[in-house]
Parts: sequence; structure tokens; C-alpha cells
Amino acid sequence: MKNTFTLILLMLFVLGATGAWAQQRQVSGRVTASDTGQGMPGVSVAVKGTTTGVATDSEGSYQIQVPDNSAVLVFRFLGYQTREITVGSQSTINVTLNTDAQQLGEVMVTALGITRETKALGYAAQSVQSEELTQHRQPNVLNALQGKVAGATISSTGGAPGQGTNIQIRGINSIDVGRNNQPLFVIDGVLMDNSTSTVGAGAELRGMSNRLADINPDDIESINVLRGGAATALYGLRGANGVVVITTKRGEQGSLRVNFTSTAGIEEVNKFPDMQSTYSQGTRGVYDATNFFPSWGPRVEQARQLDPTHPERLYNHFEDAYEMGHQFRNSLSFSGGTEAITFLSSISHLTHEGVLPFTDFSNTSARLNAEVKISDKFRTGANFNYVNSGGARYNADRFNESLSYWSPRWDVTDYRKPDGTMNSYGNNNPIYGAATNRLEDDVNRFIGGLSFGYTPTSWLDLTYRIGLDTYNDDRTRTAPGPLGVAGERVYEDNGQGFVGEYTTKFRAINSTFLASANRSFGEDFNATLRLGHELYDRRVKSFGVFGNELTVHDWFFLPNARLLTSTQDLREYRLMGLFAEASVDYRDFLFLTLTGRNDITSTLRKPNNSFFYPSASLSYVFSEHMELPSFINQTKLRLSYAQIGKDAEEYATSSGFASYTGLPTGNTGFTRAALLGNVDLRPEFTDTYEAGLEMSFLNNRLGFDFTYYYSLSKDQIINIAVASTTGYVRAAVNSGEMRNKGVEIVLNAVPVQTQDFTWDSKLIFSANRNKILSIREGLEEITYASQFGYVGSTVTMKLIPGQPYGNIYGSHWQRYYGGAEEDPLFIDKDRPIVIGENGFPVRAPLTSQKILGNSMPDWIGGFTNTFSYKGLSLTSLFDAQWGHEKYNQMGNFFSAFGIADYTEDREDFRVFEGVLADGTPNTKQVWLGQGVGPDGVDYGDGFYRRFHRGVSENFVEDASWIRLRSLTLSYSLPSRLFENIFIRNSSVALTGNNLWLWTRYSGFDPENSSTPSGSNVTGFAGFTYPAVRSYLITLNIGF
Amino acid sequence: MRKIYRFALAFTLIGASLSLQSCEDYFDLHENPNLVSNPPLNAMLSTTTHKTGLNSQRIAATTAFYVQYLASPVAGNATDTYQEVDLTGTWDAIYLAMADIQDMKQKGMEEGATDYVGVANIMMAYHLNLIVDHWGDAPYTQAFDNTTLTPRFDSSQDLYAEALRLLDEGIAELNKTDSRIPLRAADDLIHGGNKTQWIRTANAFKARMLNKVSKLPSYDPTAVLTAVDNSYQSNADDAEMEVFEVRNPWAQVAISNTQLVLGGWLSEQFVDHLNGTTYGVFDPRLPRITEPTDPKFSIAPYIGTPNGVGNVGTRSNTDRDEVYISITSPLTGETSPITIASYAEMKFIEAEAAFRAGNRERAYAAYLAGITAHMNKLGVPEGERNAYLSNPAVAVGAANLTLDLIFKEKYVVTYLNAEAWTDARRYDYQYADFDLPANAELTTFIRRVAYPQGESSKNPNTPNTPALSEPLWWDQ
Repeated sequence: MKNTFTLILLMLFVLGATGAWAQQRQVSGRVTASDTGQGMPGVSVAVKGTTTGVATDSEGSYQIQVPDNSAVLVFRFLGYQTREITVGSQSTINVTLNTDAQQLGEVMVTALGITRETKALGYAAQSVQSEELTQHRQPNVLNALQGKVAGATISSTGGAPGQGTNIQIRGINSIDVGRNNQPLFVIDGVLMDNSTSTVGAGAELRGMSNRLADINPDDIESINVLRGGAATALYGLRGANGVVVITTKRGEQGSLRVNFTSTAGIEEVNKFPDMQSTYSQGTRGVYDATNFFPSWGPRVEQARQLDPTHPERLYNHFEDAYEMGHQFRNSLSFSGGTEAITFLSSISHLTHEGVLPFTDFSNTSARLNAEVKISDKFRTGANFNYVNSGGARYNADRFNESLSYWSPRWDVTDYRKPDGTMNSYGNNNPIYGAATNRLEDDVNRFIGGLSFGYTPTSWLDLTYRIGLDTYNDDRTRTAPGPLGVAGERVYEDNGQGFVGEYTTKFRAINSTFLASANRSFGEDFNATLRLGHELYDRRVKSFGVFGNELTVHDWFFLPNARLLTSTQDLREYRLMGLFAEASVDYRDFLFLTLTGRNDITSTLRKPNNSFFYPSASLSYVFSEHMELPSFINQTKLRLSYAQIGKDAEEYATSSGFASYTGLPTGNTGFTRAALLGNVDLRPEFTDTYEAGLEMSFLNNRLGFDFTYYYSLSKDQIINIAVASTTGYVRAAVNSGEMRNKGVEIVLNAVPVQTQDFTWDSKLIFSANRNKILSIREGLEEITYASQFGYVGSTVTMKLIPGQPYGNIYGSHWQRYYGGAEEDPLFIDKDRPIVIGENGFPVRAPLTSQKILGNSMPDWIGGFTNTFSYKGLSLTSLFDAQWGHEKYNQMGNFFSAFGIADYTEDREDFRVFEGVLADGTPNTKQVWLGQGVGPDGVDYGDGFYRRFHRGVSENFVEDASWIRLRSLTLSYSLPSRLFENIFIRNSSVALTGNNLWLWTRYSGFDPENSSTPSGSNVTGFAGFTYPAVRSYLITLNIGF
Repeated sequence: MRKIYRFALAFTLIGASLSLQSCEDYFDLHENPNLVSNPPLNAMLSTTTHKTGLNSQRIAATTAFYVQYLASPVAGNATDTYQEVDLTGTWDAIYLAMADIQDMKQKGMEEGATDYVGVANIMMAYHLNLIVDHWGDAPYTQAFDNTTLTPRFDSSQDLYAEALRLLDEGIAELNKTDSRIPLRAADDLIHGGNKTQWIRTANAFKARMLNKVSKLPSYDPTAVLTAVDNSYQSNADDAEMEVFEVRNPWAQVAISNTQLVLGGWLSEQFVDHLNGTTYGVFDPRLPRITEPTDPKFSIAPYIGTPNGVGNVGTRSNTDRDEVYISITSPLTGETSPITIASYAEMKFIEAEAAFRAGNRERAYAAYLAGITAHMNKLGVPEGERNAYLSNPAVAVGAANLTLDLIFKEKYVVTYLNAEAWTDARRYDYQYADFDLPANAELTTFIRRVAYPQGESSKNPNTPNTPALSEPLWWDQ
């Protein structure tokens, strides 16, 4: 906030016309905040209609020269309602600012750090402030944004410590599932990598971090989410999926301030699936304590008669296998400065142990932000951030799969024998797997930026910024070999033991130069012209060696391995943009902005590598233009159009021969590279149209912001999967069209506002509709993902023209159409299911794969309420993703292995509802169990294994959810307590995250998916790392 | 103050100079540093010979269930019971190998390396046969040539003719003596650079192909015998591949089985074929193929698993109360070679062709020579070998030799070889006691495999697969 003020001030100086200084006199006072009652430093105090302005000092006090008694003072502070007070005869004006749910009239950091008045923006933009980000104490900043930004679908991929989180802004933009659809992240002007690396044997399923997890949320001042093409135009093609602009805290002039925040928390799995508790181990009702099948045996009572050692009740192996997790974060920051230099430094440490045994994550971060004002014309600044992060990751998919095989007749927590080998009755013990089959990552990262500003004259400003984001991501993958002791059971995945060492070296430099000129033309027009140059240069090198079959079983040392295989990859990318922005405003109510940018990219060949695209946006603040009824405050209409170009992935224009990896060391070979490159690739373009209306009423107590957008991407660059008969796996082509359209609504209200008590409310809602208009000539569909299901229940995700992205296709029950035409894509659930002569429902032929659901939510919403009473504040956040489906692979296994609670009906007879092939109603009674039923008929493997598990339709479930994302109760100790001691302020907060979840989904929390963050495949729940419910306590002390 | 001016100017210039770099090379990052554009021929030979060996095993890993060498431990297993299984992985491996072979051939022609062209032709013919013998019609003329992303399907008859042509052309190329670049022994993972053996392999493949059409009127046993004559002269000539990243893939199946990733269970059909149950004579190759059951269960030493039935008996899957692929066998040990084609197999092709041509003496001699060669390959001691060869059930004399006996013995020789299924279909599965698997999807024996999802979903030219009981053209 303070830096924003500095920038406002600069803007005022830079942009403002000179005003007359006559009959001046001084007014002073103090500005306090309504929520804390304390003095507010850094509040902008300006004389309306002039360029005169000052900032309050660290105690909230100010002094300002005013021309005359009719002067109006404007008090502005981001996040608070702006107040205007006519000076009159007063010489002391004390002001209390109320928190502002609606931020119209405020300024916002837009593209390239340019601060603009919100009312001048012709596109939707939404910012989230520090308090909102840190109140849930989420270790990953993306999780802190959940439910707060319209148009951003944010989902954790699972509940592991450090596990990646996915963000998509306004839906999927590319029909190439391999393309990155995550927005660009910019921190203090430095382009920041947020990829999720899956380098390392089997890392895809190990919940790796998205790299934003490196950032300490306590360092962040604000996050602005730029969604549409007009908002991101200046960022060029790298901003094509939206831009998240992060601004970190700055020091402020005054004495040294020290702030200490400490959080401790515990967590547990928030939702387990329902399981049967009646049937023991074995098959066909026959008890066998070493049988592979965990739950197709007899009832527990019967098993106990045969086996006196059988426990009285089955174990609840899923709940037993998970533990209570805990986390601690301590952050310490120092800030202060003089008129010339301000600084902020912070250090932070997080340790987090997960609910799945032997998983953890830690993060240590150190930051230094400094700003130096060398003279009135020169300024420079630096932001340095060093981070070390990483932890032990486990394959939750494997863990839950193994748990599904594990018989609850046995205690899964007794996983290790005294000799160190796996303790098991036969099947793999999942906890032993987690203890021994390991992947640890260790990331050392530096993000730094230097900026220089020069203002030679009042109307010209030049800034230059150079940023560096670099890290080494080291991963070690280990598993011990067999100990070789008698009776040893080897954990399957550990094989003969292995050690893998992987390193990724990432380096990205970005340089931005921006010249801004401002000029007024007459009374009514004010124009700003900006010209800029941007360069981005990225190099990512990774290499690894995997050593298989260890000689000394637990010495994880590459020379100790019998077989070594190596991998190596280098990717370099360069992009340069030249851009211009011209904005004109007319009488402060009509704002027009035009931009143009030309990119030159290294991923396309000449002449296709250089391309231009424009944008235009208009903001019409009619509350400033015409007289509106008094209950209406600011009202603004926005219109914008933007075109955004997009380049290819690295090396999509070249083919060649790759190392053939099937040979042992000592032999080398080459094979055709998987990708058929295309030298003629052209840039793809997306046209976005956006319209919006913002209104606020009743003294800004009520407000809304409505946005409609429509975007069309044409001629997409895709690495399409091709038939192997072409000799390739993928081919780079320009093909396909995709459309996204949607609405975003933000509602703000302050239902109650008294001196002591305030109730603030904010609702966000957004809905996106996607449609694939075309794929590639000659193709009817593109299958881009699939997930296994038993005997024909494997589901796929396919692109079919006319259908939206995210559809899940799979097998289904045969329905009776009686000669009527059957829709090839949609199931008609009103039609009766066809029952076979054997009395069981019939699966349609596997060649018929129908749409069983779509993984993209129909709408997402967030509802935040804050109740403040003096120093006490209670904030709740409800968050929802609605109208989407996921394939529950674990559910498929739960059917196959008799784990699901509904399989308790296995000893029942049933007449399946439906009709026979000739349309007559089914009357045949069948038994659902395995083997020979009471009716003397042999039912073989029974209904669930023979029929139910083989039909995808049974396992694609409604994954809609609504949850109490967080509830925070915080208390700021009254400042009078600290009057005579060194402490300035102190607060304590209790937070509960994920306290309540409503969903129809039968597995773990449906927010999660089995694909890593950054993946565009969100339809598979797999066997995810379960989500957690956490309880945290936070103590904050300022000195 | 002036210093500061300069300072700012310097940084402005950095920005400006970076923009000037835009010229030419700075953005010229098109060549993928992870790839090479022109690999040496020998490095393509190692890849293609390796892939050829692995693909022969990959196909057999499916069809070994159809010929009932193997049976699944799980009841109703899809492959075991003739359900449509998706063989995308196998299909892709074959086509991506063919692409590499094509590239090697192309480069060999450009560089005048006739040896490489010859070997490429032979391996291409082998892969075409794998396709024709399992799926039927398939892309070739438009495959892997960069002209289309959706290649047309050619008729299997055409592919068969093309494969024969490639073999003849391959032999001609290898007979040239002016190859600019000789085969590099260390990178020829099949014949170690021995051109004579490659020519013999070409003839072996030809013999197989000519014999494959035994049901068709065009069948010419004399041509078969000519090809056999020009093929292998001893076990030492066998086309084998023994370079593995970790170990022989069959050995991997065996090891995984001991680690509870169940697989490699020998079928009851195959075990009974060898242990005396079916023919009343114990075949001494059996102990060289598998290990006996765990004696502590005091059961028969060699027990197979019935196809489609899964694990039989009350014992758990993990108890060694049936027999499996063994790493102690010279055929499936960790370093054992994968046999692509063998001298012993040629002897049985000779026996069959001679028999069909009415030359019973030659047929009988080849029949005995084939058994002998295979026993030698398996390391059967001379005494046991001779005892078997002189057993009345085996030593029937030329006059009493039957096609049944030839197929019966060849069935053992082609254990875990892709060619076994071709024989089974030509022979209409008439092996003694050979039954449909339990709960089979089909009412007759399986005759083809389904086109893979991977192709049909990306190539609209892919035909629909007929019923898997529909014979392929050469099987009709």
C-alpha cells in the first residue's frame, strides 16, 4: 500500500499539470482506520482538483497547504473508502477511514507495474490484499486466492505438504492438452516461473509443487489478477492465459519496525469414502488369510470361527493409514527507512508434515526490498528473494491403490518386521512403501530485480527493470533393494533397489524498458503515451541418472547400482516485444486506451516469428459525466477488444533423431524423435471482446461489477497426437478453433456499519462456457487423456467439435430404444436399462463411448463475510465449484475389490429394473454375491466384478462441491496496552480451513485430481492425496 | 549528478542494445539441441536390430496365451479368453521400429551402404509379417513418409508381396560386395555383422512366408524347400537378440512373478504336452524350460494352469504349486537371447513342406533334425535326447510320420516365439486336447487381433475389426 502511494505521488507529479499556489494556509490532522482505530501511515491526502498532495506519516498524521476554505481534501488509501472533506474554516481535520469492500475510485497496479486509476480501466481487474491473502495461513499463495477472484478456477491437486495447485483463468484456451494454460506470474516486475516439474522417476504422481509455492505469503502486499486480453495486452503472448501481478511489501519511511508472525497448525483428512465393514478376506465367500482379495471373503463372524486370530472387527485401514499432519511457519520482517532509502527484509521458515506418513515439505525464504531516492529525478530499487524449498513426496496414487488391495483383516500400521523387511500377509504394505520408496526434492532459488527510474522533466518518465529468476531443483529418488533375509517379502515397487539423481537448472532473465510521456491538451484532454521494450530469455537444462539394482541394498550411491541410465534435456527460449500504449481521457469520465505490441519469438521461423496485435479499451464513468440519483455513487461502463498472439513451444519447428534409450550402457543408438516438426508454423491468435458494468450505491455500501467476455482462438498451434503409422508420436500443426465465453460478477456490501461494528460481505461468481469449434480436418475426435478402469471401464477425455473441453467419455449400460434412434454421444437416462437373459444389466458394446460428464465447473463462486467488532474480527469464506464431474478411479477399485459400502448387498437377491432385449420388463431374480448362490446358481465372480466394475458410467460422479473454505477469528490487542512498552501491536488468530464440505462425490475430496498442477487434464480423481482440514493458531507481534 | 545521468544512460542503452540483438541469430533457436539431424548408420543399426528383437517378444507376449504356452493366473483374463484387448503399445512399437528401419534404409541408399539397405529390407519384411499375421490390412505405402498424418491402409496381400520383394531385394543388396560402409559388428545386435547369416535369415523369413500360405492354392512346397536350403545351417546361425537394457523381458516376467506381479504361468496345455500326460512320453526339454513345483506340497512336479480358469487349487497365488517361465531356462534367463527365427524351426518348415510335397524321407529326417537341434539348443544331455528321439511315440519312422507329429514337435520349438500362433491357425488348433479357454468370448478359436485404439482414434482410415474368429486372408 505504501509503495502504491509512492507511485500515486509520482504519478501526480509526473502526470499533473501545474496548479496555481495562492492564498495558501496549512491544515493538519490525523487519519485513523475504522477497523483498528489506529493511525494510518501512508494515506494519500490531496487537495481536490490540484496536484497538491502529501502522505501521512507513521502515526497517521499529516500537514497540507490548502488554497482556500472551499478546498476539498481527498483521503485515499487502498482498501479503504475514499473520503472527501471540505476544509471550511477548520485547521485540524481528523479523519477516520472505513474499509472499502468496493474499490472503485482507487488505483491498481496493472500490466508492467503501471499504476492506473481503476476508473480509467476499460477491462475487469481484481486485486486481493495482504490481509485477505494471509488470513487462512495457506502455505501456497494460490490456495490463498481460492474463492476470491472471479474468473479464476483454482484447485489443489491434493493435500500433500507443498503439493501443487492449479489455476486457470477464464477456462482452457488451447486444444493442445500439452500447452500451458496457467497464467503468467509477475512478482515485482520479474517474470516468475510457476511450472510444476515432473522430472524424476514417477514424479507425476508425487504431488510436486508448483513453483509459486516458493513464495512466502507473508511477504505479499497485493495480488492483482489481470484476466482478459486488454488487461494483459502489454505482457504480450506470455500473458495470453491471464497475468497474476504480485507486489511484495515495501519499507516505509520512519523508525525501524519489526514484525513477527508465528503459525502452528494441525491437520487431518477431511473426507474418507464409505467402506463396507462386514466382509473379510478371501474370494467367493471363502476365507483365506493370505488371499489377494481383501474383501470378497465371508462375514467377519464366519471368518472368526475358522481363524481364531481374526480380529473381532475389521480394521478401518484407510483411516488407520493416515496420520495427523502439522505445520509451523515463522516469519520475521524488518522495515524502515529514511527519506532517501526505505527497505524491508524478511525471513521465513515453514515446516509441514503431511497426513500421509513420511511426506513433508519445508521452505526457508529470505527477502530484501529496498528503494533509493537518489534525487528528485532519480530513483532505484531492488528486490531480492532467496528460497530453499522441498521435501519428501510420496505417490499417493500408489498408496491408496495399495490400500485398496490391503485386507482390513490385517493391521496396516504394523508395516515393518523387526529385521527391517516389509511386514505383510501377502500384499504390498502401503505404509512400508511410503517409508522406503522415496523422492525428495531440494530447490534453491533466487528471484531478484533491479529497477531504475529517471524523470528528466515533469511530463516524461523513464524506467528500466531487469529481473532474474533462477533455481536448481535437485531430486533424489531412492528405494532399498531386498535385504536377502529368509522369508522376506519385497515391496513390489522397490524391485532390486535403486537410486536416481536429477537436476534441473532454470534461468530466466527479463528486461523491461518503459518510457511514459504525459500531456494535457486544453482543459478537457489528458493523454499518456508509453513506449516499451521487453526481453525474456529462458534456459532450462535438466539431466539425471537412474541407477537400478543396488549391490549394497540401502546405500543410495550411483556407483553402487548395477545399471545406469541417463537423461538430459535443454530448452532455450527467447522473446522480445516492442509495445506502445496510448491513453486519452476526456474530462475525467471517458478513458480510451489503445495498445499495440509486436513480438519476435525464437520458437517460430522467419517470417512467422514476428507478429503484431492490438487492443483497445474504453471506460466511461457516467457518474462523473451526468447527474445520477444520489443513492448511486460511481458507475462505470467498460468495453474492450484485444487480440493476443501466441507462439509455439520450443523446437516445434524442427525434427530430428533422438537418443534411443532402450539400450544398455555401452551401446548407443538413435531413433526418430517423437515430434514431427513443422517449419511453417504460424502464430495463433485469440480475439477477446469484453464488456463490463460497475456500480456502487448508498455511499459505496453496496456495489457490483459485472463482466461479460467472449474469446475465440483460431489456428491454434498444437502438438497433435498422431497415429504411429506416420512414424511419429506427435506432429506440430496449426489447427483448431476454440471459443470461451462467460460472465464474472463481484458483489460487495457493507450491510452493517457502526462505530464499533462492521459487517463486510463480498460475493464472487463466474461461469465459463467452452466450445471446441474445430479440431483438424479429417479427424472426428482427439483423445488426449485416459485413466484405467477395470474390464472396459477405462475412461477417456476427447476433443470433439461442437463439444466443450473437459468431456469424459466411457462405457455405459445398454438402454432400450425400441427402434428409436440412439444418440451416439449422450446417454438418455429416461430409457430403461436392457437386462440380459442371465438377469444382469447389459453393458453397451465398448465401441460406444458416451459423454459421462465434464470436468470443467459450470460455475465457481466465493462468499466472504467479515464481522469486525473493535479489535475482534471473524471472517468466513464459502467457496464452491459447481456442475462438473470426475472419474472416480478409486471407486472403480472399490467395486472390483468389494470395498465400497454399497457392496454390502452382496448376499441379496435382486430383480434388476429394466427390460429384456425385446422390451418386456425384466422379472428374473439374481443373487449379487460370488460363487454358488442360495438358489444353486453359480454366479462366478458376482455382480460387482462381472458387471458393475466394467461400466464407466458407474464411476463418473458429480464432483460439485461447496465448502467452508476457511473461518478465521482474530483479535488485535488494543494499542493502549502497549503504550509504554516496545511492542507496537499484537494480534492472535484462530483459523480453521476446510471445516465443512458438501458434495455428492463418494471418494476423497473432489477438488483434487490425480494429474500434477499445471496439467489440463482435470477429469480424473484417480487415487489422490486426500485433502485436509486444518486448524491453526497465529500470533503476530509488531515492535 | 552527472554520474547519475550516465548511470541511467547506461541502463537505457542496455535495453536498446538488447533490442538491437533482435537481428538474426539471437532468435535463431530452432534446432533442437536434444536431437541430432544426421546420426551415423551404425547407431541406427543398433536401434533397429534391438527393436526387431524386442518386437518379436512383444507380439509373443500376447499370442503365447492364444497358443496356450501361457495362461493367466486370473480367471477370465481378457487376453486368455479372447476378449478384444487394446494392443496400441505393440502396434506403435512395430510402426516406430519400421520408421527407424525406413530411415536407415534411406540413409544407407544415400550413402551407398548396401549392407545397411539389405539388413533394413530384411527387418522391414519381418515387421510387415508381424502386422499381416496379426491385424491384416495396414498402412505401409503412405506410412512414415511425412506426406500424410493419416496413412491409407494397404491390403494384406499387397503387404505380403511387398515383404517377399523386400527379402529378395535385401538378399541382392547383401550379395553386393561394394558397400561403402560395412555392418559394424558391435551394433548389429542380431548377427554381429555377419552378412552370410543375414542372407540366411532373409531366406528363413522367406521360408516362413512361403509356408504360411499352406491353406491357399498358391502354396508351393518346392519354393519353401529352396528357401529352407538357403537358410540356417546350424543353431549357430539363429537370428537372436541378446542385448537388454536390464534383462531379457521374459526373465523380467519371471522375476516380477516372484515379486507378486503375477505373470508367465505356463498353460496346462503346454505342460501336459511335455510332461507325458498328452503323449505318454516325458520331454526332457521341460526341466530346461521351467522349474518344478515346490516339493513341500507333494504334488506333481509339473502342473500347468488352464486357460481362462486362473489359479487352480486352494493354495494362494504366491505358493509355487504350478510352473512358470523360469530364469534358469536357457530360453528365458536374464541374459538369454530372444530367438527371432531358428535353425530348428527351419527344420520343421522343411519337414512340413517336404511332407506336403510327398517326400516323407526328407520330412522325417528334418523332423528328427529339428528335435535334435532344439534339444541341443536347450542343453539337453545326449542320453536324454537320444532316449526321447528313440521313444516309439517320437521315432515313428518316415512311413508313419504325420502332419500332426510335425506340428506337435514344432509347437515345442516355437515356445514363446511369435511364429507359433501362425502355425496354430494354419493347423486350425488341431493339437491334441487343445480346447477353447474357459468362458471364452468366442465360440471358435481366435484368428486375429483387433486394430488398436491408438490407431483407430487418430487415423480415420482404420477399418473396423471383424469378429476375432474371422480368419485373415492367408488363414482362409
